[in-house]
Amino acid sequence: MKDNYTGPLIKVDNIKKHYKGGKIKALNGASLEVNKGEVVVIIGPSGSGKSTMLRSLNLLEVPTEGHIIFEGVDITDKKVDINIHRQKMGMVFQHFNLFPHMTIIDNMTIGPVKLLKMSKEDAEKRAFELLDRVNLKDRAKSYPNQLSGGQKQRVAIARALCMNPDVMLFDEPTSALDPEMVGEVLNVMKDLAKQGMTMLVVTHEMGFAREVATRVIFMDEGTIIEDGTPSEVFDNPKSERTKEFLSKII
Amino acid sequence: MFELLNTYINKIQCSVSSEFVQQFRLNFIEKDRWKYLLKGLGVTLEITFLAVIIGILIGTIVAIIRTTYDTHGAETRNKFLKFVLSVLNLLCKIYLTVIRGTPVVVQILISYYIIFVSSNNKILIAVITFGFNSGAYVAEIIRSGIQSIDHGQYEAGRSLGFSYVKTMLYFIAPQAFKNVLPTLANEFIVLLKETAVSGYIALEDLTKGGDIIRSVTYSPIMPLFAVALIYLVLVMFFTWLVGNLERSLRKDER
Repeated sequence: MKDNYTGPLIKVDNIKKHYKGGKIKALNGASLEVNKGEVVVIIGPSGSGKSTMLRSLNLLEVPTEGHIIFEGVDITDKKVDINIHRQKMGMVFQHFNLFPHMTIIDNMTIGPVKLLKMSKEDAEKRAFELLDRVNLKDRAKSYPNQLSGGQKQRVAIARALCMNPDVMLFDEPTSALDPEMVGEVLNVMKDLAKQGMTMLVVTHEMGFAREVATRVIFMDEGTIIEDGTPSEVFDNPKSERTKEFLSKII
Repeated sequence: MFELLNTYINKIQCSVSSEFVQQFRLNFIEKDRWKYLLKGLGVTLEITFLAVIIGILIGTIVAIIRTTYDTHGAETRNKFLKFVLSVLNLLCKIYLTVIRGTPVVVQILISYYIIFVSSNNKILIAVITFGFNSGAYVAEIIRSGIQSIDHGQYEAGRSLGFSYVKTMLYFIAPQAFKNVLPTLANEFIVLLKETAVSGYIALEDLTKGGDIIRSVTYSPIMPLFAVALIYLVLVMFFTWLVGNLERSLRKDER
């Protein structure tokens, strides 16, 4: 981050994502600003573009139009080396995406060692601290498929944190979990929010949104319909579309 | 009566076994003819091993170009890189089509009589031909291996900040390689048998060795069955090795 930069951490400026020559519009002009320390939960029906929006932030999806400014740098500029900026954005996926051929500790340390040029010892020390935080210290030498879904997702969160990111992106982190494992993952995320981590979370967990979010965004048909505090969005939604959606899920 | 029958059977057995010994002597012992088989076996193994190495090298390069183009060609930002990639991909496609669309016998004849007409190193010609031939099949094996890896693995690597090349190197390649190792080993077994056509360029491999004995002794049964038996034992041995390999790979996963 530039030292003198005081603007928003992430600024999304009217991004669009069109497929098949414009026939499918996953994102149709979405704008958003996220400041440091905010916990933004993005909700909406499936196909509303919320995942595409989140995945655009670190350019896993490259927007067709518009700009994304991260820490003062326009990362949609083709001259920018996106790999450097991705190091500052941790991402957690619905299907965990741990590397099955590596132990848990290696999953976590390969990023810091290879990309941040951290020593193996320092990286492992940091990894153990993070594993302790997600209560999985004793599984460091296990392989991913020896773990339950909830454990895998907690490791995935710890792996992303190991890179010491400025923001964490969660793409439906509990959707692939058995119901009894949802809680343990949400608890880790709650702790993370308490410690002041900037987070963007796409989720269907409305309880989590209400309790933890500082801001809730409702998306539909590729645009942002509603944007406000949890009580504003959940208790006094302005648009009919939001009311209709909330009435179906709560 | 019974004794008479017994001596009669004995006589037959004697003549059968003496016939066998005689044939064995004629085909393998006399004038050290067994050396044709031994030397031929050496040539066959040499060609196969070297060709497999070339095949894996070519196959890996072709597979990387093809998958990079398929998954990445459309979104490559650098225009020059995009152009180079599409040209390389086209060349790879032509190579795959031509090699897989023509018989290996024809390929080795073309190599010997047209492409390498000035060279007399038949083993080298065979190694290059079988290597290029095998490379086409290996390329498709490796490509399927890379494609079998969940796209999420790629996204996980990229989201941590690894470049495309490093993501392939650290995360995709190790998993893909493990998946295709048994299939690659099978390709080696197939190649071992395919080299039997080396005789077309008068290269004295195992098959040709047996055939030379036959042409001298005018008795086809012994030398040809011996050749078949040696191939069979080799194939069974390597199949057993591959089986062990597969089992130990599976064990790693749990």
